[in-house]
Amino acid sequence: MSALPERSRGVIALIDDKCTSCMLCARECPSWCIHIDSHPETTAAPASGRPRTKAVLDRFAIDWSLCMYCGICIEVCPFDALEWAPAHRYAEPEAGALVHERERLTDWLPLR
Amino acid sequence: MTKSWSDAVAGGLGVEPVDEFGTLRADVAPDRWLTAVRAARDPLGCRFFDWLTAVDEPPDTLRLVCHLARPPRDGAQMRRLLLRTTVARTEPVLASVSDVFAGAGWHEREVREMFGVEFTRSADASSADRLLLPAGFEGHPLRKDFVLASRVAAPWPGAKEPGESDALLASGLASGRAPRRRVRPPGVPAPEDWGPSDEPR
Repeated sequence: MSALPERSRGVIALIDDKCTSCMLCARECPSWCIHIDSHPETTAAPASGRPRTKAVLDRFAIDWSLCMYCGICIEVCPFDALEWAPAHRYAEPEAGALVHERERLTDWLPLR
Repeated sequence: MTKSWSDAVAGGLGVEPVDEFGTLRADVAPDRWLTAVRAARDPLGCRFFDWLTAVDEPPDTLRLVCHLARPPRDGAQMRRLLLRTTVARTEPVLASVSDVFAGAGWHEREVREMFGVEFTRSADASSADRLLLPAGFEGHPLRKDFVLASRVAAPWPGAKEPGESDALLASGLASGRAPRRRVRPPGVPAPEDWGPSDEPR
């Protein structure tokens, strides 16, 4: 495609199997452009101990019409679930279409 | 960055500049602001005025920043100079540099509206007209203590806890637990603490 460096600040990519829905990125985002929905799921207790509850990601969306590309979400993610990717051609004819959902956000980085 | 340019700036401004990635930064006292900008233009040759703005640094300080450049000449490359000074937030008054660079007047009017800094002019060139804000607007929107009304009213995406969704919150069944005190976004007061209200506070 192009000779852009691998971590060019073109778009923020989501690696959703690393995301724990901890909400840190959504809270630190100065533009309020990250939307996360999740639900708790309880797994049966191992032989000894209590059942475990963890949050399961349902929705992860970034509104590119608000994002100012500061990268704070990438900095604060404790699980490296967000990364810069060089893609930059995602202009849209209307602002509403700039809300990219999980499916598009996970598509920016090559499978690893 | 050549040593001679750095030395010239130090000599012209009377302060030792700091090289930041090819731009020289010099901090001057507020009473030396006009003198420094004038010296940067002549004899230092920074004849290109790029921009002037401010940074609110609570609790006490407003920092004024001005970017100037010396165009390429005599085979020497362009030189950049970032001049900075600070004024007190409680009494933000600074000499205008619009006599040195006429275009700076626009930037100063913008800083006046957005940060509440008053620029004193030697000639009576000051304009009371608003540049950006509507007449009657109260406050200075780029000060950090300025409350953004739309943020008080809009739902904050970070208010949810892990395991919660918009749908769940809308149904009023958050986590199925007793309602907890929700995290507030930084710098945004709760709607019940700010804004119009029928009841006296």
